[in-house]
Amino acid sequence: MISSSTLHVVATELVVGAFALAGVAFTLCLLAPMLKPSMADKLRSSDAVAHSAMLFGLLATPLAIWTGLASAPTGDMSSPVLANKMLLSLSGLGLASGVLLARWRNGASIWDVQRTRVVQGVSGIGATGLMLLTASAGGTFSRGESLLDWLNLPYNEVLLMPTALSAILLMVGLACSVIGLRSSA
Amino acid sequence: MLLLLFVLILSTTFSAAEPGGNGDGLRDMQCGGACHGDASQNASSLLTLSIEFPEYVWVGQPTEVSVEIGGVNAAHDEHLIGLFLLSSTNANGDTPLDDGWEILSDGQGGSGNYVEMTTSSNQATIEQTWVLRANEVGTKTLFASVHHGDSSGPSEGRPFFGVSQGFAVTIDPVPENLARLHDDFTPVTSREVGDELSMTVHTTYANAVEIEWRTEDGAVMQAVVNSTAPDYWQFTLPATLTPSIIEWRAILSGEGPSQTTPWFVLGSQITPEPVNEMPIYLQGFAMGLLLFGAVLLLQKQSTHPEEAMKIYDETSTIEAIESNQTSEQTPPSVAPLPEDGLPPGWTEEQWQWYGHEYLAGTYGGDGQ
Repeated sequence: MISSSTLHVVATELVVGAFALAGVAFTLCLLAPMLKPSMADKLRSSDAVAHSAMLFGLLATPLAIWTGLASAPTGDMSSPVLANKMLLSLSGLGLASGVLLARWRNGASIWDVQRTRVVQGVSGIGATGLMLLTASAGGTFSRGESLLDWLNLPYNEVLLMPTALSAILLMVGLACSVIGLRSSA
Repeated sequence: MLLLLFVLILSTTFSAAEPGGNGDGLRDMQCGGACHGDASQNASSLLTLSIEFPEYVWVGQPTEVSVEIGGVNAAHDEHLIGLFLLSSTNANGDTPLDDGWEILSDGQGGSGNYVEMTTSSNQATIEQTWVLRANEVGTKTLFASVHHGDSSGPSEGRPFFGVSQGFAVTIDPVPENLARLHDDFTPVTSREVGDELSMTVHTTYANAVEIEWRTEDGAVMQAVVNSTAPDYWQFTLPATLTPSIIEWRAILSGEGPSQTTPWFVLGSQITPEPVNEMPIYLQGFAMGLLLFGAVLLLQKQSTHPEEAMKIYDETSTIEAIESNQTSEQTPPSVAPLPEDGLPPGWTEEQWQWYGHEYLAGTYGGDGQ
């Protein structure tokens, strides 16, 4: 019988590896117009790599969240680090989903206009950053150390909004999503 | 990118993977060897380990087993030591439970075979006591094992591992009429801070019971004991104000031989209040949905057909160039577009940067 802790290690390695690759590819996509066309053309493949890797990481994320909760010592979010992990991973999940859906709807031309290119690139890199922060918090929780320790990130403090404010934020997010989805319908 | 990876690799060391410890618990020896990431990286610890136990160990009766660690802070700067009590050195399936022992107390308020201890600079030896109960008559072997790091000196950051020789324990049958705790007795090992603990002790062949308890500073106190039924004795231990440890033991006397039990450790702790997870999930989903919607909203205009057409509509650019040509003024930095528009595969931004080279025929392999 494989424990949920072992499955969590496997799932997080898939997520972190996929998102790290996506982050590098998104950076190249963002910088492509600054490069010579000969090189820029080759970097077009980065578009496929960035979104494929992000899709793969996105599919593995729910498994990582679920196994993470199951392997928590008390089975719930009794630690502020675990609460921060949940907030960061769900934010990353939403951002990455938006990036993938935007790419699917707009096609590769999303990189041809400066504004959409910057939004797509920065969002992709942002989603990667959120996932890597989640992994860093996980390392701090389970091993007491992380590669990002030098940043002295306050993992033990949770910035928790009042429930009413979260509900309003949820409604705003829902409205943004509906408007965004209907714009090309 | 390669340079960054190289720097990250250089910044890592083969050292203790969990310098902050992993918490007390029930663990096999392989955890001490392999939790450092690679057992082959372990160096031999110079700490000395010895195990002491009473002259007579009776089956079914609590027995105090003490492990003494010597040479602390002499050869290493350990800071934190992980100590195992083991029944073999198989590395797997080697806890005392695997050899028929029951762990009644680990001396830290738990009932595992592994404890972590912080060292201090003026401490040469550390003693740790477990209370075990054997399930059968015979001879059993116990081992002690340590793992730790080194916080300074030439071995700084290296993981160390050590294991003692085997100590044979002979378990004898219980003498007839020995005043003793009943076989079903299991001590409470932890409670909440601020709570008194009323405990009932079930005994056999005991006519009188005295209870002694002491705090961490060693002052021994006497508890009032009441007999609630034949062979059942009740006493109360006072509440603690902070997370701490109280030890207690029973002195049993009857018609047969008397017996003093080992010191049982009772830890008091503050259990975290149950967390209401709903606000955390709600905020997480809200943030995720907001970011999802924001990206879609920001990218929505490019999905409009007219906007998409504008990507390929260079009318305004051409008009601007013609206007400039008419006034015999050239842009200071942007090369004029050819009559056919942008070369195949070029974007406006690339033209702004490399258009001059293209027109001059000096642009690399993609030249005219």
